[in-house]
Formats: sequence, C-alpha cells, structure tokens
Amino acid sequence: MAVVRLVNLEKRWGDVVGVANQSLEINDGEFMVFLGPSGCGKTTTMRMVAGLEMPSAGEIWIGDHNVTHALPKDRDVAMVFQNYGLYPHMTVRDNIAYPLKVRGTARAARAAQAEEVARKVELEQLLDRHPRELSGGQRQRVALARAIVRRPQVFLMDEPLSNLDAKLRSSMRAEIWRLQKELNVTTIYVTHDQIEAMTLAHRVAVMNKGVIQQLGTPEEVYNRPSNLFVAGFMGSPPMNLLPARLTDSVIDIAGKKLTGLANGSHGDVVVGVRPEDVALSSPEMGLLTGQVYMFELTGEAVLITADVQGQKVCVRCERSLRCEIGATVGLTFQREHLHVFDAQTGARLQPD
Amino acid sequence: MKARDAKQRGAGGALGGRPRWQTVLIWVVTIIWFAPVVWIVATAFKPRADVFSLTVFFKPTLDSLLAAFSPPYLVGERLWNSIVVTAGTLAIALPVSTAAAYAFSRYRFPGGQAWPLILLATQFLPPVIIVIPLFVVFKNLDLLDTRLSLMIVNLSFIVPYATWMIKGFFDALPPDMEEAAMIDGASRLRAIWEVVVPVALPGIAAAAIFSFVVSWNEFFFALVLTRDHAVTLPVALMSARTEQGDAWDIMASMGLFIIAPMLLISRFVQRYFVKGLVSGAVR
Repeated sequence: MAVVRLVNLEKRWGDVVGVANQSLEINDGEFMVFLGPSGCGKTTTMRMVAGLEMPSAGEIWIGDHNVTHALPKDRDVAMVFQNYGLYPHMTVRDNIAYPLKVRGTARAARAAQAEEVARKVELEQLLDRHPRELSGGQRQRVALARAIVRRPQVFLMDEPLSNLDAKLRSSMRAEIWRLQKELNVTTIYVTHDQIEAMTLAHRVAVMNKGVIQQLGTPEEVYNRPSNLFVAGFMGSPPMNLLPARLTDSVIDIAGKKLTGLANGSHGDVVVGVRPEDVALSSPEMGLLTGQVYMFELTGEAVLITADVQGQKVCVRCERSLRCEIGATVGLTFQREHLHVFDAQTGARLQPD
Repeated sequence: MKARDAKQRGAGGALGGRPRWQTVLIWVVTIIWFAPVVWIVATAFKPRADVFSLTVFFKPTLDSLLAAFSPPYLVGERLWNSIVVTAGTLAIALPVSTAAAYAFSRYRFPGGQAWPLILLATQFLPPVIIVIPLFVVFKNLDLLDTRLSLMIVNLSFIVPYATWMIKGFFDALPPDMEEAAMIDGASRLRAIWEVVVPVALPGIAAAAIFSFVVSWNEFFFALVLTRDHAVTLPVALMSARTEQGDAWDIMASMGLFIIAPMLLISRFVQRYFVKGLVSGAVR
C-alpha cells in the first residue's frame, strides 16, 4: 500500500504525444480509474507506472521510492492484463504461485498461499487445469489471484473486463470491487467503459489526447463535467449538447429566448442537459418544442429523441410512456441540471 | 497415447470417405518415396554377389557393414565426426538464434526492420563463391580438416535461417505473458527462459530439426574443407566410389547411418508440432 505520484510525466514517440506532461497523486488505498477513449494515453500512463514503458520526461514515485527508471520487478506492483497474460504452459496453481516462485518463497509456503488466494476467487476446484481449459471469466480470476497473491504496493488493471460478456462483466466487476475494498491496496484501473468507472472508482481521471480532462469523484465528474469532452463522454445515452448564445442572462437557443437559467453574458456557448434531466410536457408548457423523431424501448426506460429545430434532443422517460413519431412535444428542464460551456474552449462556465 | 489412437481412428474414418483415386494416389506416392529407402536398407544387408542383382530374396549378411567400419572407409570415425559437428552446431545455433530472434522481435533498433533482412541477405551469396576465400582463411588459421571449421561454416548459414524461423514464432506471441512475468518479479532473461521459450517450444523445435537436417546433410563445405580427420558421413559416401567401381554395398551401409538419426529425431520431436501450446494464452 502506497501513494503513487506522477510528476510532470510525459511520453512521446518522435512527434507523437502519448501522454502530455501530466501530474497526479493517487492516495494510499485509493481506487483510481483512468477513463477515456482508445488512444487517449490511459494505458500508456499505466504501463509507465508498471515499468513497461519508459517515460520521455517526468518522475514516478511509489511510496518513498522514485521508480522512474526502476525495472518492473523492482516496483512491487501487480498487473492484470486485458488478455489475462497467463502462462499457458503452467497449471492454474503454478500461474498463481509464479510471483512467489520468482521471489524465492519456499515451495510449501507458496503452495499454501496459492491455495488460499484461489479460495478467495473461487478457483480451488481448478488448480490443476491449464489456462486453455478455462473459460474467460475463470482465466480473469486466475489473473486476479496471481495479482493479489503477493500483496503488492499497487494494483494495475488494464481493461480487465473488456474480453468478458456483459453478464460476467458485472459479476467480475463486483468481485474486483470487493477484493480491492478487502485488501485496501492502491489501485489504478484503466477502462473505456464509463459504467465501470462510475461503479468502481473512488476518483476518476477522464483522459483525452494524453491530457487529464477532469479529476474527481464519479459524482463530480458526472454531475459537474469540467468541459465539453467530459460532458459528452460520461453518460449513456450521452448528454444533449446544443449550441446557444448567452447575452444579459438570456439564453438564445433553438429560436427561443430563455431567462432564469444562467447569468451573465458570454456570446457563443454550448448548453448541455442530460437525457434523464429533461422532462416531456405539453407543447405550450415546454421551454423548447420539437417533433418526436425516434422512440426507443430500453426495458427500464423509454428514450425519446425529439427534433428541435434540427437539433436532436434525447429524453429519458418513464417506461410506460408511448408516443407517435412526428408528434409535437414540449421539453422542460431545471436550472440546476443545465451545464453551460464555452463554445470555443469547451470549458465549463458556471462557477457554482 | 489414448488421444492419439482416437485421432488415428478418426483419420481412418475420413480415409473411408475419400474417393478411390485419392487412396490409390496416396499409395503410389508412398511407394515411390519409400522404395529407395527400402532398397538401401536391403542392399546394406545383401551378400556382395547379390548387390548388383535385382533379387528380392537373399541371405542377409553383415559383411558390407563390417567392411564399412574398417579401413579405408572408417564409418565409425566419420559418424563420430558428423555427430560432433552437428551437435556442436546445434548447441551454439539454437541459443544464439533464439536470443537474436527475441531481440529482433521485441526491441526497436536504429535502422528498424533492416537488420533481420540484412541477416537474411547474407544468405543470397552462393556457397561456391565463398568456399575458396573460406578455404584460404581456414588454411591461415590452421583450421583446415578440423571439426571446428565445419561448425563455424554450418553456423554461418544455420543461424540466419533459424533466427528467422524462431522470430516468426515470437512475433505471433502476445507480449502480455512476458510482461506479466517481468511485473511478477522475473528479470527479462528469466521471463524469456521460463515463459517465452516454453511457449515457443514448437517453433524452436522446428528450427532445431531444420538445423539438424541441414547440418547433418551438409556436403559441399565438408568436401572442400576436410581431407582426413574431420570427414563427415556425406563426404565419406564419396570414398566408396573407387577405381574398382562404385561400392554400392558400402554406400548403402553408410546410408543407413545417415538416415537413421533423422528418422529417430523427427519421431521424437514430432509431439512438439502437435501440441498447440499457445491456445489459452489469449482470449
């Protein structure tokens, strides 16, 4: 267990910037999720912490040690790979015990520890199998067991659930959450799945183009996205983003002038509101009006997309609601649910 | 063993469903391939009088074998030379090629992908062109007619090909495994030895068989660079062409020793080709 500090960390390959001068401190025992689209630098950052990539500049600290140039084996970290990274020629037992073996633990002790850890992830029946005889979920549990068997300072998890089917993914997610809570080991978890980020993280670092866009609790990141990228990336279906103008506390949007929703003057802005924060109303009562463009049944809700002067606005409604395509509807939302961003820089405008 | 029996039964079943002309063709090809081998074995055990006849029935004798082992043919010593040269070549070629293949597969070099190609390009020179300079070099080094000179020459063409063969296998291995091993606490060398090599064993075994066959059968350089002490079996075969005519019985006896290890070794290493070790590593 240790604090992980990244200080002005940078990775470039020639002119290509992988990670651009980022600093971050991950607290002792914290579950930190790096979230972003592919190619955003999240995996590269993790691989630099693991020692599998050398940073072009900056420092990495684990606890009191500067490990920037240390070999992976000297960093006392454990990693779970997207493709599991199991040793195909070894049994499950030998796979789990391998970190102990290379560190010179006696045979009897490592057998006992491997069995104890296997029990923890419910693998005790499969100890003598080879990885090729296991299902995807079982393989990932072996990888987890191998990571926790040694009680490392830091866990690194690189999209560990992305090869699993949806059902297995949610049960493994719960497993990872439980293990991390129980072991209380500082964890870095890389994913592009915002549900995983929301459910697992103590804090989320949303990344794009090698830069951390926002760092905060899942709640903060979801409720107060600090820029347009985060606003568009978090949430499914994504936040509705509409171009507008803000002058003298009046928002000029889709041909309507709305007051009481934001203060000040700013010129061109983008107004964002999440589908679940929009409500349908009669056309006269609506702040905006539009025609029903698409109607989707997701099971637990109904998604209605309305065409508001050429802009598509998605609304999440109660699941019993039905409506006709092309019908005119009104859309309402509350001031506190409205996000206003600068149209040029994408930065959030509201100070509150 | 059980699994293999089942497999063979399965194959037999498939054979039953094969068109008749295919079965016939397979048998014809098999006979064409095996007839000379069978003939060599038969000739080695024929009495001298029957060697030039086409008779199939004869009284087997060890005369020609015994003759082959005594002067001037000395198959025993030639065989030992072949074994030492091939074993020495493999003992050096496999570790060197494996290490080189790993480096080419995993590291970035200034000059990029040119290096493996340059390594292969060294093989574009025909042996006939380099044999004379090699002869001069070995003469000056006092290495003519030594097993060491043959090992050095063998390495010069086995290492490039073996490196390429093994590199292909390493390229296909996901780096996750060795990265996992390094994070688990192994040095890179240990990760290669305990994880990469075992998983790539089918490829390394294939390269080993290839190297063995090439080294064991190498004739041209051995003919030019040896005279007496380091003569290998393929060159010894030539010594049976005497002024009194070709001693086919002696040649057949030598042929037995040239063929035997090949059959043995390919049989022994075959299982590495069958095992799909990589399955289970990913997904």
